[in-house]
Amino acid sequence: MIPAKIEDVFIQITTDINGVILSIDAGKFAEKEFTLHQSVYRSCPFLEGTLEALPYNEPFLIEAMIIHSNSIEYNVDVEIFKREESISVLIHNRTNVYKYVDQLNQKRNDIFFIKREIAEKNKELDRLRKIADKANEEKSRFLAMISHEIRNPLNVILGYSEMIAEENADVQKYINSLLDAGHNLKVIVEDILDLSRIEAGKLELVSEQISITKIVETCIANFYHQQKTKEVKLEYFISEKVPTFILGDSVRITQVLSNLMSNAIKFTKKGIVKIDVEAVSETAENAVLKFVISDTGRGMTNDQVAKIFEEYQQTEINDNRVFGGAGLGLAIVKRLVHAMNGVILVESKIDKGTRFSIEISFKKVVNHTLPQKQKNVEVNFNSLKGRRILVADDDVLNQTIVAHILNKEKTVTTIVNDGLEALDKISKESFDVILLDINMPNMTGEDLMRQRDLFDKLNIDTPFLALTANTSSKDVQRYLSLGFSGIISKPYTATEFVEKIKKVLP
Amino acid sequence: MIAKKVLLVGNFGVGKTSLIRRFVTNEFSEDYISTIGVRISKKEVQYNEQIVKLLIWDVAGTSGNEKIPKAYFLGANAAMYVFDLSREETYIALEENLKMVKELSGLQNITLIGNKKDLLTSEELIAVKNKITVPIDLITSAKDDENVEDAFTLLTAESLK
Repeated sequence: MIPAKIEDVFIQITTDINGVILSIDAGKFAEKEFTLHQSVYRSCPFLEGTLEALPYNEPFLIEAMIIHSNSIEYNVDVEIFKREESISVLIHNRTNVYKYVDQLNQKRNDIFFIKREIAEKNKELDRLRKIADKANEEKSRFLAMISHEIRNPLNVILGYSEMIAEENADVQKYINSLLDAGHNLKVIVEDILDLSRIEAGKLELVSEQISITKIVETCIANFYHQQKTKEVKLEYFISEKVPTFILGDSVRITQVLSNLMSNAIKFTKKGIVKIDVEAVSETAENAVLKFVISDTGRGMTNDQVAKIFEEYQQTEINDNRVFGGAGLGLAIVKRLVHAMNGVILVESKIDKGTRFSIEISFKKVVNHTLPQKQKNVEVNFNSLKGRRILVADDDVLNQTIVAHILNKEKTVTTIVNDGLEALDKISKESFDVILLDINMPNMTGEDLMRQRDLFDKLNIDTPFLALTANTSSKDVQRYLSLGFSGIISKPYTATEFVEKIKKVLP
Repeated sequence: MIAKKVLLVGNFGVGKTSLIRRFVTNEFSEDYISTIGVRISKKEVQYNEQIVKLLIWDVAGTSGNEKIPKAYFLGANAAMYVFDLSREETYIALEENLKMVKELSGLQNITLIGNKKDLLTSEELIAVKNKITVPIDLITSAKDDENVEDAFTLLTAESLK
C-alpha cells in the first residue's frame, strides 16, 4: 500500500513500442491525462521521437520535462525502460524543486543582462568622458595659445612704456612700436571675440547698401600702404556686371577680404596678390558674386589645405612667430562666409600660389565703413656691467626691449634671432648668462637645451634663462628639467628682468 | 506524415524561445523569461510536397561551458544552434560549442543561426560576420520576423537528410 501523499507525486505506466498506453501501474499524478489504449504522446510530447530511439534494457532518465494537467504546468523527471514488447515510463512530479531552479535561473540571467546593460552604459559614459576630456584639452590649448599670443604684444607694450617713461629720445619710434603691439593685441582679442560670438550663434549681420567696388578698393589701398617695401604687386579687377550697390554687411565683407589679403601678402615674397570680383548669376532681386583672392606665394600642400580653416592653424609651425596672429583668421573667414550663406573654396600649389574663391548671394539695392589700416613699423634693437650676455629671441620688439634694459646695465650684449644662431654663438664664445626665448624658428629654446653636449666646452657653467610667456607649472617644470636655471616670464618689468639675471649669476 | 525531432540549443537569452514562438504562433514578446528544462512545440510544415510534423525542443539556454544533457538528443533528427549577434559571448566559442553539440547528438550538421539582427546596424553586422570563422546558415530576427520561416525550413531539410 503506497501512502496517498506519495501516490500524488508520480505515475508509472506501461506502453507498447509505439507509445500506446497498455496499463497504469502505480501512482496518481496527473492520472486524468493518461487513458488506456491512447497514445502517451498526447500528454508527454517529449516521448515522441524519443521512445523509438531508446536503447533496449537500459534505464534512461530525462530531466526537466514539462507536462500539462488541468491547465497547470508541471516540471517532471522521467525514467524510461524499454523492453522487447513494452516500455515502462515512470513520471516524477518535481515542480517544487524546479520552481526554485526556475527562479534562480531567471535571477541569474536577469543579473547577467543588468550587468551587461551597466557595462554598455559605462562604455557610453567612457565615450562621453573622452569627448568632454577632448573638449577640455581644446579649451586648455586655446587658453595656452591665446595667453601666449596676448602676453607677447603685452610685453612689448609694457617694455616700451617703461622705456618711454625713462627717456625722451626715440620717443616717436617707441610709440610706433607700442601702436604696433597694441594693434596686434587688438586683432587677436577681436578674433577671439568674433570666433566666440560666431560659435555662440550671436553674430548679427547688417543689411545695408554697400559698394563692393569701394570695399575692394579700400582694402587694396590699405594693404598697398603696408606693402610698399615689398616686391608684391597688389591688383584688383571688378567685372562690369557686378551691381554698383547691393545689400550686405560691409564690415564683415571687409573682414573676410582683409583676412585673405593679409594672408596672401604674408606668404608672398614676390609676385602678385589679386582680388577679382565677378557676378556669377543675377536675377531681378539677387546677385551671386564671386570673390577670388589669389597670390603667387609659397602655396600649401593638400594636407595643409585640408586643415587651413581649423582654429590655430598656420601652415608652418613658426608662422605665428614670424607673422603674428593666433591662427584664427581663416577659421573666422569660413564662419563669416557661412553666416552670409556663402561658400568658400581653396586651391593651392606649392611654390605656385593659393587661390581662395568665395561665392555669396546678395540682395540687390544699397553704406558702409572701412576698417582701420595697419601700420608696419621697423624697430631697431640694441642692450650687469661688463657681463657677457647672449640673448636669443626672434621677436624684434622683444629684442629691442631686452637690449635697452641690458644697455642700461652696461652689459656686453649679443643678440641673435633664433636657436640655430644661438647654438653657433655658444659653440664659439663663452657667456656669463644666456637668455633663450622658447618659441623660435629653426631651433626652439627647448631644442637648443637638448643639444647642450655640443656647447658644454665653452659654456659648461653658464646659467640659461628661459624667456617665455608659457608659464604653466607644467611648462616651468619642463624647462627646469631641460637645464634652465630659471625663467623670465613675459610680460616683465626692467627691474624684474635684471633681478632674475642677477639671481642666476655666480 | 512523418514526425521529426529537432532541438534548438545555444546560450541563454539568444532568442530560441522567441524564434519558436514566431515560427509556431507568429508572436513575439520583448519580455525575457528564461526557459527551464525543455518545452516542446509542434508544427506541421510542408517540405518538398511532404508534410512533416516538427517536434521542436526548446532546450534551456546554457552559460559558458555548461553542457546540454545528452538525453535530450536521443532520437533527434536535427539541431539548430542559435547565437545572439549582439552579444559576443554567445558566438566567441562557436567552433567549440558546435563540436560539443555534434558529439552529444551524434548529428553531422548543426544549423547555425545568428539571431537579433534587428539590434545591429549593417556595419556592425559586417563586423560580427568578420569575427565569426564558422559558416552561418542564416541571420534572423524573431522580432522583425526576418528569415525565421527560412531557418526552420533549413532545419526541416536537415532533419530529412
